[in-house]
Amino acid sequence: MSTAVMTERIAEASPRSLARMAGVFQLLEAVTATFGQVIVLGRLVVAGNAAATAANILGHERLVWLGFASSLVGVVFHIAWALLLYDLLKPVNRRLSLFAAFVILVGCATQALTSVFYLAPMLILNAGRSLSALTAEQLQALAYIFVRLNGYANDTYLVFFGLWCALIGFLIFRSTFLPRALGVLVAISGLGWMMYLVPPLAVHLFIPYIAGASALGEIPLLLWFLAVGVNEQRWREQARVAGEW
Amino acid sequence: MSNDVMTKRITEASPRLKARITGVFYLLTILTGIFAQGFVSERLVVYGDAAATATNILTHSGLFQLGYAVYLIEMACNIAMTALFYDLLKPAGRSVSLLAAFLGFAGCVIKTFSRVFFITPLFVLGGAHYLSVFSAEQLQALALLFLKVNDRGAAMALVFFGFYALLTGYLIIRSTFLPRILGVLGMFGGLGWLSFLYLPLGYRLFPFVVALALLGAASLILWLLVVGVNEQRWKEQASAAGQ
Repeated sequence: MSTAVMTERIAEASPRSLARMAGVFQLLEAVTATFGQVIVLGRLVVAGNAAATAANILGHERLVWLGFASSLVGVVFHIAWALLLYDLLKPVNRRLSLFAAFVILVGCATQALTSVFYLAPMLILNAGRSLSALTAEQLQALAYIFVRLNGYANDTYLVFFGLWCALIGFLIFRSTFLPRALGVLVAISGLGWMMYLVPPLAVHLFIPYIAGASALGEIPLLLWFLAVGVNEQRWREQARVAGEW
Repeated sequence: MSNDVMTKRITEASPRLKARITGVFYLLTILTGIFAQGFVSERLVVYGDAAATATNILTHSGLFQLGYAVYLIEMACNIAMTALFYDLLKPAGRSVSLLAAFLGFAGCVIKTFSRVFFITPLFVLGGAHYLSVFSAEQLQALALLFLKVNDRGAAMALVFFGFYALLTGYLIIRSTFLPRILGVLGMFGGLGWLSFLYLPLGYRLFPFVVALALLGAASLILWLLVVGVNEQRWKEQASAAGQ
């Protein structure tokens, strides 16, 4: 097969395979980001207890590095997922799809920068003589403040993630090649994440509302993309009408 | 009207409508920014006085929360505005328009991330038990330090918005469908923001820079909302550019 033909094949990857790839990246993102931000931090952070948290971090430095790497790789998967959805939903409304992509890229950049705070507690606790002006308890408290900063930065990302889900949901709803119900569910899960505009409210509503809406929206989205993909014929029709090809 | 035709009409919104929507999001960006900065941040944060700042934030914690939420809404509007301007000005120069969008976009990332430091003082001053190893004065100083990081971060974003305004102004001047004077005003506003390359200079010139930028922004917003763009010329320039 010549290079030109191969390039053409890749460029014109069928919408169904694009959808499958989007599903794969969504799954990878969910696994890596959840591992880094939820599982690792859940094991290490003792809520409100700076000393115990510090001891956990110093006792599991490899796990911290692993969680850090996993969070960062999660951002890469997220960007790939977002660009595939941009391409897939372009036939519905190119401008809105572009706006959605911009929104999530700003969210992803915030998510990537959050990793700085992820490592900061370990660096502070290992600072040695350079931070010797602070007492051991103060260093532990400072490290814990950075754990919280990681949380706040992640909350900020969630606002943009929510807006992206709402926009994606709307585009799916307006599309002819994906089920409308899926769009409604994804949009509702997005509205849930957007509650992080007011973090205390979101913490209050998280179980069962935000977590429930998220599961009801994002799990069907994942399964549909992996198992069914999109209706190729209708996708091409809508793309032709939109004058994209 | 069949569904297909309807979809097509919406997708191919007229340039004038596009211009109006761009104007709306531009206006929303400015208004939310003025609210969060002028009515929340400036009212509650006293940069030379950590104790007064802490008292203000704790007595008006609801307003402070609102400021954070509005800051994030401002960023969402700013992103929408950037995406819309990219489309609107593409006929005047596709690559320059794309470059402008990327720069505006980088500014949005920096500003959004800075806002994490805006909300932080709320928990630093929140009186959690583990924080009692610091004295009240130390916590207040730490809170003010975070607010300063937020402010310097936003100032860094202004430099990117300055380059954005320079390129956008240049595209408006090159365009056949918007009055050149709007582009000239926009470029002056952009030059003003570049003073934040050296922060002390930026802060000293701030009132003038803001006045200049607001003049440019207000006239462009007003024009986009009331007149929009010259549709025929927009289409001509777009087809001449091969789009």
